[in-house]
Amino acid sequence: MSDPLEPICASGLQFFGKVSASVSHELKNVLAVLNENAGLLEDLSLAAERGKPLAPEQVKRVSENFHKQIRRADDILKNMNRFAHSVDRFSAEVDLYELVSLVSVLASRLAAMRNLTFEVTKPEEPVIFKSNPFLVENLVWFCLEYAMAREGGKDPVQLIPAKKSGKIALSVVGSANFTEGYPEHFSGAAAPLAAVLGATLAVDHGNAELVVYFPDRKK
Amino acid sequence: MTEKILLIDDETDFLEIMSERMSARNMQVTTASSAREGLAKATEGNFDAVVLDLRMPEMDGLETLRILKEKNPDLEVILLTGHATVKDSVEAIKMGALDLLEKPANIDILTEKIKDAQTKKMVLVEKKNEQAIRDIIASKGW
Repeated sequence: MSDPLEPICASGLQFFGKVSASVSHELKNVLAVLNENAGLLEDLSLAAERGKPLAPEQVKRVSENFHKQIRRADDILKNMNRFAHSVDRFSAEVDLYELVSLVSVLASRLAAMRNLTFEVTKPEEPVIFKSNPFLVENLVWFCLEYAMAREGGKDPVQLIPAKKSGKIALSVVGSANFTEGYPEHFSGAAAPLAAVLGATLAVDHGNAELVVYFPDRKK
Repeated sequence: MTEKILLIDDETDFLEIMSERMSARNMQVTTASSAREGLAKATEGNFDAVVLDLRMPEMDGLETLRILKEKNPDLEVILLTGHATVKDSVEAIKMGALDLLEKPANIDILTEKIKDAQTKKMVLVEKKNEQAIRDIIASKGW
């Protein structure tokens, strides 16, 4: 008999790989812009050596471009670092809004490829519970992949963390046909993953809403 | 001789600077920030080459390449990508791309590829002209 944790481990590794690959693509894009900026600076200095006066505004623009790309790379790396540290502890306090915001940012490049954006609603009160942060991120990722496979309209997919009748809930709200093909997507590794977390999934076909409920553990 | 280039990339900062650098190298550059815009512009201009990003929202580079080649099989396309995989490279070449270069690209290598594209296009035009002349001669019985 195979180990029931096997699909969870495999899925976790796959999730980590997908995020790493996406981040490396984003960083490559930053490097490409930085490379062209450095090249432009080189072009300008070569032209100056040939007697063409160097315009200060051109140099200023290149410098601003460098700063912009450095800020962009810094944001990407900060998010990657936060994500990497989520495997540090098997059990920790999870702020669902913070966690969903991070995962949605990590998925934003892949979502953009499908012409899709995510919008996370900040709850009035923090939604905090104890769980395994990385496994929660993985289950949220499954939900975002589910959305990415179905959506592509002009409206963003809504991600709403909240407390619902004593449970921690994450609602993923899409457009009209959002809940079609729901069971298939979650029949693989997502099912044992949800079971390990004590989470349950439900769909509301009328409201085109997928809801993940997490147990409100404090310890 | 001035090369006419269509540059398609969703990374607008990259597009802007690359365009400026290519223009400084005496190229005539048209830019498009999406595959859709690029496809529309490709039919308007008589380009020597299209420089196309492989990963773009809505439509990726390979699909864009397929449509470009379907509309104009003689159009030379150079693909740019963050991470060039063997699979992507093989697929791109099979679909008729001139080459696939990895970002950050060396502008001198890219310029060489563009010049190659222009040379290929000129040879093709000459061949077509020769064939047209041969056809006229044959039809007149000269």
